[in-house]
Amino acid sequence: MLNQVIIDGLAFALPLLVIAIGGIFSEHSGVTNLALEGLLGFGAFSGGLCFTILVQFIPFDSAVAFYVSFIAAALGGATFSLIHALLCIRLQANQVISGVVINIAAMALTGFLTAQLNQSFFSGSSNKFFLSTAPRYTLDLLSGLPILGGLVTNVYPFEIIALLLVVICWFLLYRTRFGLHLRACGDNPQSVDAAGLSVARIRLVAVMISGGLAGVGGICFAYSISTNVSPAIYFGAGFLAIAALIFGNWQIIPTLGACLIFGLARAASFQLVLLLEMDSSIFDLAMIVPYVLVLVLLVFFSKNNRAPKALGQVYDKGQS
Amino acid sequence: MSETILELKHISKRFPGVIANNDISLEIQRGEIFAFLGENGAGKSTLASIIFGMYSPDAGEIILRGQAVQINSPARAVELDIGMVHQHFKLVSNYSVTENIILGREPIKRLLGIIPAIDYKKARAQVQELIDRYDFDLSADDLIEDLNVSSQQRVEILKMLYRDAEILIFDEPTAMLTPQEIDSLLAIIRRLREAGKTIILITHKLEEIKLVADRCAIMSRGHLIDVYDVQTTSTQLMANRMVGRQLSFQLDKAPAHFGPAVLELKELSVIDAFKVKRLDKASFTVHAGEVFALAGVAGNGQIQLADALAGLVQHSGQIILNGQDISQASVRKRIQSGLAYIPEDRHGVGLFLDFDVTENLISKQYYRPPFAHWAFLQKKTSQRYAELLIVRYDVRCAQGPATIVRSMSGGNQQKLIIARELDTHADLVIFVQPTRGLDIGATLSIRQRIIDERNSGKAVLLISLELEEVLTVADNIAVIFNGNLTKVTPAAEISLAELGEYMMGVRQ
Amino acid sequence: MNQASSETKSRSTNWLLRILRYPRTQNLVIAILAVLMALVAISLVIVIIGKNPLTVFVSLLRGSGWLPKPRYASGRSMLTDFLGLLDALTPMIFAAIAVAIAFKAGLFNIGISGQMLTGGFLATVLIGYSQLDAVLAKPLVLLVGALSGAMLALFVGWLKANFNIHEVVSTIMLNYVVQYIVSFFIKGYFIEPVSRQSHTVSVASRLTLVNVQIGAVETRIPLCFLLAVGLAGVFYLILARTRLGYEIRAVGSNRQAAEYSGISSRRTIMLTMALSGAAAGLAGVTYYLGYYNSIMPGDLSSVGFDSIAVALLASANPLACVLSAMLITSLSYGSNYMSSVADVSEYIASLLIGIVLLFSACSGFLKYLVNRNNLAVDQSDDREEPGSTPATGGD
Repeated sequence: MLNQVIIDGLAFALPLLVIAIGGIFSEHSGVTNLALEGLLGFGAFSGGLCFTILVQFIPFDSAVAFYVSFIAAALGGATFSLIHALLCIRLQANQVISGVVINIAAMALTGFLTAQLNQSFFSGSSNKFFLSTAPRYTLDLLSGLPILGGLVTNVYPFEIIALLLVVICWFLLYRTRFGLHLRACGDNPQSVDAAGLSVARIRLVAVMISGGLAGVGGICFAYSISTNVSPAIYFGAGFLAIAALIFGNWQIIPTLGACLIFGLARAASFQLVLLLEMDSSIFDLAMIVPYVLVLVLLVFFSKNNRAPKALGQVYDKGQS
Repeated sequence: MSETILELKHISKRFPGVIANNDISLEIQRGEIFAFLGENGAGKSTLASIIFGMYSPDAGEIILRGQAVQINSPARAVELDIGMVHQHFKLVSNYSVTENIILGREPIKRLLGIIPAIDYKKARAQVQELIDRYDFDLSADDLIEDLNVSSQQRVEILKMLYRDAEILIFDEPTAMLTPQEIDSLLAIIRRLREAGKTIILITHKLEEIKLVADRCAIMSRGHLIDVYDVQTTSTQLMANRMVGRQLSFQLDKAPAHFGPAVLELKELSVIDAFKVKRLDKASFTVHAGEVFALAGVAGNGQIQLADALAGLVQHSGQIILNGQDISQASVRKRIQSGLAYIPEDRHGVGLFLDFDVTENLISKQYYRPPFAHWAFLQKKTSQRYAELLIVRYDVRCAQGPATIVRSMSGGNQQKLIIARELDTHADLVIFVQPTRGLDIGATLSIRQRIIDERNSGKAVLLISLELEEVLTVADNIAVIFNGNLTKVTPAAEISLAELGEYMMGVRQ
Repeated sequence: MNQASSETKSRSTNWLLRILRYPRTQNLVIAILAVLMALVAISLVIVIIGKNPLTVFVSLLRGSGWLPKPRYASGRSMLTDFLGLLDALTPMIFAAIAVAIAFKAGLFNIGISGQMLTGGFLATVLIGYSQLDAVLAKPLVLLVGALSGAMLALFVGWLKANFNIHEVVSTIMLNYVVQYIVSFFIKGYFIEPVSRQSHTVSVASRLTLVNVQIGAVETRIPLCFLLAVGLAGVFYLILARTRLGYEIRAVGSNRQAAEYSGISSRRTIMLTMALSGAAAGLAGVTYYLGYYNSIMPGDLSSVGFDSIAVALLASANPLACVLSAMLITSLSYGSNYMSSVADVSEYIASLLIGIVLLFSACSGFLKYLVNRNNLAVDQSDDREEPGSTPATGGD
């Protein structure tokens, strides 16, 4: 029971964290990113497409397709994020508008393309790409232990990928030149410009990283929640991720905490419904727990946290 | 003189609607302090920006160390060993001194022999070594947001030195500093010259040029008037050449006739959102017919005081306006009981940049007759009112009342605010930094306006960082330091130097 | 000073730029341009999938009642389609002006669909399932819808005003919360076993008259269409001509300056959200108790999201919202017929909307490009900037 909460909670929290870190990269560079929802959807679509193509050619080994689909998802998300970068950095659009517009465009585009491609090439008429069930691994040695057991039971491979990404991103953001430049862009882009660096290029890369990470998070959810890519992928994970990073004060480690809280709360409310043997319609009420929790937490934490100073501001090189 | 390090030949630069630099040629020698002197709008900052690669000239040539060069970006300028301290510091507020200085030129170490990471240890050592060599009072680990303006400026200087800059450009470096800080900055500039650096100093303050510069180029409306040897040229001559006409520096200031108390503050305290005490039990009285000035270095609580008076921030203590306690009143109630406020931040607070002149002029009265009837705005009335004020306060706006404020010049935007505030006929007028960034003509006219208000029996609270303004305009002066009022005195009984010492907290 | 340069400019620039520069119609022209560019882009897509764009567009217009179809089923005509379009248009207008008025206060209300569902669900349960007469039921449906939408949006405004919670995040969270709660109640208490939707509402409470015979033609009459257009006019007047409108625009333009002028931004934010939510609630009742007569559990209407597109395209001008709502609704309303006749996926229509949106999001930049040489360059105060006219000295 408790183990199940941990297993399900982690499977939800880690992809969410990857998406949230994507948001952190973009927002720390000064670009508000409400487009995460659309980016993760397009990433999942790209991954799903890649998987569907690969299994046609190598039907005997879906493991290759499984792993390659993650790369495809990252590339897809990053590519689609170029629109956000173009609108926000080059065309000086309102970043909030751009984010919302991209979400709408992503939903329309993935829906259209999925249906169209299925019809044209894969001789199906559905609006879904079907994926294989992701493998799960258990470390038998430790799985019997109480809480620790939950951590090593039925682990999806992408949870490991997610953890690796988190470590890499942390290092990139806080220990490298690029990270130093990126965070400076979010506080005072003039200083970056004065140091002879291109604010536009740094922000472009930051937005693309955020698109890539969102894409990976998206395909993770596609595998874990529904084993297909359909319009149901737009269930609000992108916005949950934004709430998580606000709650985590735009820092990676506190955001990890926020994501764990969401994931565990969600899993726990499911398990509670099961445990009390309640009617299945209660699931609908259990579903609202993470969303309500986000709102309540934001009430307590929104006031004191510090967004990057230059967040949402258009940087025009000419003005100083 | 020794060799020429930098030569400008026939530099011209125009922007839509204005010629910023018109055929400017001059030579700068290695190891000298060369000043650009001129009013706002004279084109001196544009010229410096061209040297630093921020703008490219429309015509002309730059010759650096005997070679023609294209400086098409600040990065290129830095490669050519040119550095610049901008008027607005380009510092990352949540980074340390070290991180700011190394930004863009970070020393690297290889983790596990391959992964590049910033070598913070080495960086810190290098920065500390620079700080020690030039004897700057700083620590490599300080966070920028904890430093005062003059320390932040030193970080900017260190940034140039870290990059081995040879030509150092200072853009209005003393605008935000106290007299003592100015002295120490000028000393640093001299030390830099002794270390072999060439310095370009942009300023509109003659005294500074007299103190440090070797030669000085005077500019006016985009033209280079002439280059003078500072030692052998009189201040008066330079001043006249700079503005192109004879100026009277004298304000028309009749003796004060104090009336009854208009504003009484009793133990006013402000604690900000981060639980920091910004203002500590300030008490003073301003009378009708009096200019009461609050002098202090930026960030010592004066803005909080003004905001508290206007009701924009939480505060404790009593505010009595015309005998009425308004400490609990709303912003609008305070305006109605006779408080006008010209804020420091014109764009951020004082104006709706995307509204037109009319809508800005009625922003404090739009809700009451004759500007509104029941719930409805009376557009015609407002427009006539705007036309009236535009004439009365000489606001220059291209399309009259329908001009969008964003398109107006800074001086006219400020006049717009002043027109709006003074025309409410408030008994107390708070001016915060009323002449910041304006040229001499506009500055004098606004200072005269303040004195006229006082002569007509208004109480004026003037908050300014410019000591000259405080001394010439005020009747009484209070000094604010670290949120405390440290000294209250008649303006006639204190000197510039003394005032500076109080502002720095040297004297209590 | 710049006359010489602008003269040479205007001689060399083409007519398009001159039209674009005319300030009164600038927003309209730019919106039309965005739509045209989107049409070109989508035509390319249609060509790529091997269809004729013209056929697709014509069938779109036929489906939405703007052009006559080659043949009609018995008892149907172009009027049927057109009135059906107006029926679909009604909630869209309400929803779009809800987005627009919030946007003028600098608020991004993307919780329209949640507020619609709240209004629609409560009106369904309280009035739609009652035995009230039409005279009583219809106004009550409107009232319940407007009030409940306003309450939900007011909550968002309260969170924003007091806790600084970004309305985009809170409205999205509330969208999901509302969606699941409504789904819970419908599945538990109001489900129609066959259709898997909620029970249909009473005819007396429904805001659309269906199966009305006009001559030999069977049509439906959207009772609230004129109300929607009227409310757009009212919102326009509120914004342009009233104290409240001034306050809304002031807070949206510069919240700090508004506070400084004595306007309570908290009060304005909450009021604006309430107004916006009320319009969204009206959209909800005209959708769930008008265009439809039941609610699908676990689903949010696409009207809520499309209304963002409509309002953006209209530059948040409530009157222009009526026009752009007409456009966007025609696209989605005609898509069904289009997909069956022209054999392209219905998603083409939503894709078209998405592309229109992308282009209109760039409109700010286009405006900036067009106006760049027209306006004096903004100058900052503290340094000599390009374009600074030397301030006057002689006064």
